[in-house]
Formats: sequence, C-alpha cells, structure tokens
Amino acid sequence: MYTEKRKISRDEESKIVFIVNIILIVIFVFLLFSFWNLQILKNEHYKFLSSRNIIKDIEIKAPRGFITDKNGVVLAENRLSFDLFVIRDYIADMDRTINEAVKLTGLNEETINNRIDKYRKFPGSYNIPLKRNLSFKNVIYIESRSDDFPEFRIEQEPARFYPFGKIASHIIGYLSEISQNEYMGLKEKGYKLGDMAGRSGIEKTYEKFLKGKHGVKTVIKDNLGQIHNIIDIEEPKIGDTVSLTIDIALQQYIEELYGDYNGAAGVVDLKTGGMLAMVSKPNFDPGFFSESFKKEEWNNLINDDSKPLNNRFIQGLYSPGSTFKIVMAIAGLSENIINTNSGVTCYGSAKVYDRVFHCWNRLGHGWMNLQEAIQNSCNIFFYQLGKKIDIDVIAKYGEYFGLKEKTLIDIPHEKTGILPTRKWKRKNYNQDWYPGETISVAIGGGMITVTPAQILAMISTVALRGKRPKFHLFKNNKRDKKILKEYTPEFYSVNIEKRIFENVIKGLFMGVNEEGTGRGARVEGLNVCGKTGTQLILSLENPNYKKLVKQRRFTPHSWFVSFAPRENPEYAVMVFVENGGDAGKIAAPMAGKIYRRIFGYE
Amino acid sequence: MVMSDIVRFFDRFTFILLLFIVALGAFLVFSASFSSGNNYLMKHLVKIIISLILFFIMLSFKTETAFRWSFLLYIFLVAVLIIQLFTGKIISGTKSWIKMGFLSIQVSEFIKIPVALLLAQFFSKVSVLGWGSFIKMTTFVLIPFVLIALQPDMGTAFILLSFILISVLLKRIKFSIIIFSLIVLIAGSFVMWNYMLKPYQKDRIISFVNPGKYSKSSGYQIIQSKIAFGSGGLSGKGYLKGSQSQYKFLPTRHTDFIASVLGEEFGYLGVSFLLLLFFIFFYRQFNLNVRSDEEFYFIFLFNGLILFQFLINILMITGLFPVLGIPLPFVSYGGSSMLAFFIGEGLIFKMKLNNFIQHE
Repeated sequence: MYTEKRKISRDEESKIVFIVNIILIVIFVFLLFSFWNLQILKNEHYKFLSSRNIIKDIEIKAPRGFITDKNGVVLAENRLSFDLFVIRDYIADMDRTINEAVKLTGLNEETINNRIDKYRKFPGSYNIPLKRNLSFKNVIYIESRSDDFPEFRIEQEPARFYPFGKIASHIIGYLSEISQNEYMGLKEKGYKLGDMAGRSGIEKTYEKFLKGKHGVKTVIKDNLGQIHNIIDIEEPKIGDTVSLTIDIALQQYIEELYGDYNGAAGVVDLKTGGMLAMVSKPNFDPGFFSESFKKEEWNNLINDDSKPLNNRFIQGLYSPGSTFKIVMAIAGLSENIINTNSGVTCYGSAKVYDRVFHCWNRLGHGWMNLQEAIQNSCNIFFYQLGKKIDIDVIAKYGEYFGLKEKTLIDIPHEKTGILPTRKWKRKNYNQDWYPGETISVAIGGGMITVTPAQILAMISTVALRGKRPKFHLFKNNKRDKKILKEYTPEFYSVNIEKRIFENVIKGLFMGVNEEGTGRGARVEGLNVCGKTGTQLILSLENPNYKKLVKQRRFTPHSWFVSFAPRENPEYAVMVFVENGGDAGKIAAPMAGKIYRRIFGYE
Repeated sequence: MVMSDIVRFFDRFTFILLLFIVALGAFLVFSASFSSGNNYLMKHLVKIIISLILFFIMLSFKTETAFRWSFLLYIFLVAVLIIQLFTGKIISGTKSWIKMGFLSIQVSEFIKIPVALLLAQFFSKVSVLGWGSFIKMTTFVLIPFVLIALQPDMGTAFILLSFILISVLLKRIKFSIIIFSLIVLIAGSFVMWNYMLKPYQKDRIISFVNPGKYSKSSGYQIIQSKIAFGSGGLSGKGYLKGSQSQYKFLPTRHTDFIASVLGEEFGYLGVSFLLLLFFIFFYRQFNLNVRSDEEFYFIFLFNGLILFQFLINILMITGLFPVLGIPLPFVSYGGSSMLAFFIGEGLIFKMKLNNFIQHE
C-alpha cells in the first residue's frame, strides 16, 4: 500500500543517496584535511600568536637617581604620581575616546591626537601617557568609569620631585619627555617613548648615572587588558645617586639675598674647583617641565622677558667692568710696561687720543700707584696703561685667566664672552683696531664681554697665584651606597711670576680692608681680597644721565670678585647683580655676607 | 502505533549519537562561559530537556498530520515574522526574538520545518521542475528569506537558501532555469552589495577576504578563531585551559564559535571526534528507507539544511567563509535552533519508524 505512494524509482533514489554520500565524504575529508593544515601544520605559528595575545610585557619605570648636595641633602627625588594613559588596543571609537580625553586632561584635541600619533609605531597595547600627576579627584572619576572607557588607564609611576622648588633650579636642570626623533637614537640605551630625559643642568650632564634601568613585568592579560597572572618580573633598578659639591643651605641663602634683583653668583672651593653655590636669578620651577605637555605654558616661560631659563652664570654675557683691571694690572706688570712704583695723577678726567675720558670719581683721586689704583678702581690709571699696551697683549693675558674659553663646569650650554683682538675685529667687522678702543677695554668696557663664570675663573686664578681650577658640581655617584666615581680636582697653570700676583693681591686687599671700593665686603678677622666693578649702561656723557639712571633698566650692573683668606685662600666668591647700581653698595656687601656665612662669622 | 513498536524500532544508535553530540556541546558551553562568570550551562541544559520532550512528542505524532498542517503553520509563522518586523524590539541588533515568559524564541529558526514539509509535499507532486513549479518553490523559500533578512538576520536567512540548492539535487530541473538562476544570483548579489547590505555586513565580507585589515571587527573574530584552532595542536590545551577561550579573545564562543573552543582545548583529535560523530549521524540519516516520497524529500531537505548549516559554521570559524551569525547545529548554545532541529529530527525518526511498522 505504501509503495504505491512512491513515484521515485529505486534507481533514482539510490542515485540521490549515492551522490549525497559522495558529497558527505568529500565534505568530511576536506574538513579533516583543512583542520590538519590549521591545527597540525600551522600549529607553531598559531601557538605563537596565541601566546602573543595573552602574554604582555609591561614596563616598570625605573625611578631616577637622587641628586644630593655635599651634605647629602636631597635636591631631586621621586614621588609616586598618578598618570593617565590611553591604550590604543581598547579604543572602540576614536572620536569618543578623544572627546573624553579632552574632558579628562583639559588638553585640546590636536595635542591629544599628536600624542597618540607619536606612538603609532608601538604595539597597540602600549601605555601612551596623556597627563601626569592627576588630581585625586580625577583618579577616582576615571577609575569609576573604567567599564565604559577601558582604553583609559591610570598607573602609578615615579615622578621627579624637587623639594627645594625653584632653589638651585639652574644647577639641577629639568626633565622633559623624549621626542620621537630622539627615541630613534636612544632606544638602544633602554629608553622608551614617554620616558623623561635631562634637558639641562645636572639632570642632563649625568643623565647616564641618573637614568636607572627599567624593569619588565611579564603578565597574562585577557582581551580587555585585565591582568590574570604575573609570569615573570624583572625589577627596575633605580639610577645612581649623584652628589654635588653644592651646599644647598648656602645656595638658598644667596638666592634669597638677591631679593627681586636678577644676576648671578658663584662660590668656589679653591682647593678642588667644586662649586659651593652657583646662582642664576631669576630661577624657575624645574618640576614644571616634566608635567606639562601644554605648548602655551612652555612658550610663556621661554618668552618671559627676564629669561628665567637662561643660566646667567654660564650664559650671560656682560662687560666685566672694573674687575678686568686685575687682568690689566697683571698684564702691565708682566710685560714691564708698569712697575709697582708707577703712578698717575687722577684729576677726574683725562684726554686720551684727543678724547676726554672720565674717572668714576669726577673730583679725581690724586696721585695713585698701582695698588692704590686697584684699591680705588681709578680709571685714569688704567687709561694710561691702555695707551701703552697692545690689545693683542691684553687678549693674551685674558686668555691666561680663562676669559677666552669655557670654564668647563659640568653643566651644559655654557657660553664664552669676547676677548677682542685685531684679528677678531678684522674678521667680524672687517675693520682695523683703533687704539681708542683699547682705552675702553682697559677698564673692562668696549668690546670685551665675559660670563660671570669666566670672571670667577679669573679671580680664582689670581687667588691661587697662577693656578686655575676646573670648576665642577659633581662630587661623586653612588649605587647601593657605594661610591662608583669620585671627582678628582684639575688645575691649569699660568706662567706668571708669583711676585706680580702678590703686588696685585695687595691692591685687592686694600680695596676691601683699607677704605677701598670693596670695603662693603670686609669681614673682621678674615682677609678678604676683592675688586668691584660698576658697569655703566648709559654713557656718563649722556645729557639725561642723572634722570635716566634712576630707572632700573639703566642702572649700572654691579660686580664683585673676591677670595679669602689672602694667604692660602679657600674660597672665591663672585657676585653679579644686573642693574644693581654701585657695586660697592650692593655686590660687595652681598659677598661680605656670603663670607660670613661660609666662615661662620654670624 | 503502539509504544512497544516505538521502543523496538526506534533508531537508538543514531539517537545516542545525537545525544553524544549534544552532550559534547553542553560540555563546551560550560567551558565557553566558564571565565565570563555567566552560567550558560544550566539554561542550555533546560533547553536540551525541552528539546528532547518535543522530540518524543513528535514521535507519537502522525507524520501525515504534520504534512497536513504544514501550510497553515507556514502561513502562521510568516504572519508572526511580518508582525515582528513592525513591532519587534531589537535585541542584539535584530528583531528576530520573541519573548515568551522566560524563553526567548527565534521564529526564524522554526520556519525551517514547515518550509521543508511544504517543499517535500510539493516535490512529491511534480516530476520535473519547470518554470512554474520552480517559481512556486522559490516563492515558498524567498518569502521567509526576505522577512528574516529584513530583521536583519542574514545568517538564518541565508541558511534557508540551502533548500533551493538541495532541490537541484533532488529534482530534475530545466537547464534554462539553472542558467536563469545563475544570472539572477549574480545580478542579485550586485544589487545586494550596492543597495541592501549594511556597512558591517560588507565589512564581514571584506574582512573575510582580508582579515588583517579589520582586526577589531569580524576580521578580528576570524583571526582569533583561527588562532584558537591553530594553537590547539594535536591534543589541545586541555579542558578549561584554552587561553583564547578563557581570556575571552574568542568572540561569541558559546554560540557561533563553539567549535573553536573544542579546537583549542581538545585539538585535532577532539575536532576529528566531533567530525566523526557528525559524519556517522549524517550518513545514517541519509541512508534509510522510507515509505513515501514526501517523507523521502523531507528527510533530504531537512537533513540537507542541517548539513549545510554545519558546513557553513565550520567554514566560517576557520576563515573559509564570511562570518554569518549561525550556530553549530546541536552543539551551540541557543534554544530556538536546538528546539527546531530536535522537532525536525523527531519527525524524521518517526518517519524511520513508519517504514518498519508499515512493513509488518
């Protein structure tokens, strides 16, 4: 009965069943082969990919080494800061992420785009820093929304901290993030994008000691970046502690002496060349650079009129003023142009080469010998000397005292002043040297310029009677409390008779201790020797001199260079105050205070 | 038909085979949901039990009744699909779900049964598919196809097309129809690509051709699935130890990508075992005697559809076919698919019984 229902013939049915069976066999054989290919032949490849999926290396940033002063007081250390990162792998919608990042960081869209772009060659799982040092409020806010925004991550990382704030900022320097181009050159040295590097000061010079070595944490992460397991951990190594020759208490004292004046000061230990203090005012906040990615803030700082980033001590170029008379005197004596008995009568002005030159003392000093001329800083004496001495000879002696070269102090970006010669003028102005120009140079004016550091080098050479110390800030570096490298002092020698130094030093001693221009630096019981320099901004011949000079910007710069004690000198002190006015009234008393502080005369 | 007959002639071997496949599926669903903390296993087991109950109800059903009611059922389900299109809430991107108490039901999965029944009846009445009958047959398939595609659920809709493919095997068809169909197919895919497919669907196809390009979308799914499979090696990483599955790199691993969990945790041996189970199952379901043409056609249509879905799923998760969201029959988590397949198989097991009982 049921067979009647069937219209398909047996043949037809077997044909269909046969074809279906063939199809079945083909399908399953094909599947077996393709799985064989995928799972057995390509197993290694996919095993690698699968472990790469879950096994991630996470950088553990090494804390930077500490910077301390000579007594071990910490000048730069690290504090944990909450930093905001973004991880490309977890960005679902770039626009949404960027909008949120703008809200969280306050940076603009372009800056954020640029930051993400900077890391494009890094794996998608890399933590891209967006903002450092988040406020606690922000941290909580971001953490509470981590489900909505898995791409944002907050990590605690060591951040540079400078306990003394702006104090010693030019010594310490600052850090900022390395750029993409720098990274190319630095990656072999263990740097990662997002790392900080020293840009100036000690932070830059001793970068290799301070850097430390990053650690790595190998972890298992799921597809949302949740860490499930730590497989391996290589602890980071903190950078070496770099100790300086600086005495931070003294440094701070000197910086505060400046009040709202700008300028530079240096105190050097003459036995080693180590700097006890190195001041440049105004100073800046070194912490600023490691935190901010904002271009405007950078520009504000860079374009500040008072140039706080400029380290005046090694970069400021100024006329040395009367401090240069020291070099002139030594040159005159060495070349036998003058001797200790030579004298000049000062009437307050003199006609040299048909031009009238003034002494600072319009009433005149009367008859002066060399030492008295130094003591009273008499211009007329040195005008006469300038008439008899060639500019190239002056330059030769300037060179002996380090005025042509860098002091090679161990922080970067040092400049040198101009020690003019005939050749120099020909080259730069295509002109002959006029003898009248020598007269200006003879009192530290005209074309000659120096840095405060060079002037300190000059007075140090005088103090040590012909030995010029190489300046430095580095004392030693320590790892695990063990000293690795200790600074060994270096000196350059100048072949000038000791007698000549003693003659000039007598004048310097008189200048401070016997009613000379430098008497403000006098310290009872300590034989300070020094020389003032008051470098006019306006010419005395300017008809409005008396009116204009009251404005701060036309007020003369003040110098005071000195050392103490007279015999077996220990320290040289250089004070330079921009627009400070009469050096005898400002720079010299500041130096006096510094000596009292150093030698404990308070 | 009496109970003792059912017990005596019931194809126990194939049924146990099927239970093996389902049990393996439950085993894998547990692993797939292990790390995410969702207990899919309990829900899955509930659905298996309901499926088995329906399966046995089908056994006591008269096959003729099923055929008789198929058209009404078809009309009813098409109507539900239409209503759904206008009123359905969108769940996971489609309107294909109907909430019924604690169960969510995908009507699109169930319409496979009346379509297969209707086509089987239809095939038993015509000897050669001419233009008229071909258009009629295609219409039966295309109405639900379009409705489901509009939900949009391209995967389930696409599977329905397998009926047309199978009909070529079962019926002699005029050559001109085949040529015409090919032209329509090519023109149709052109129109689809340009006017109908959503960007994400295009992405899926593009990413199939070039998976690396879309590492976060469907290309990402294919890559992660291949990594899961490939890293499994010969014997796998061990149950609950597959890193791709447990650390959630594998997408929709308890549903569409369930076989990737097997591949990763049990390796080539595990996959081959599943293939073997399926092969024997299909072989036994295709090589049998039935008493009528319509039963014959139904068996080939319905099992053919299961084979087709099985193949597309396996090809998809190994990157040999574009990502179409369709589950692996009897294995994947997903109640409607499981229910529909068990109901269909219930009818087929009953047809096998019919044959024996009529012989006596």
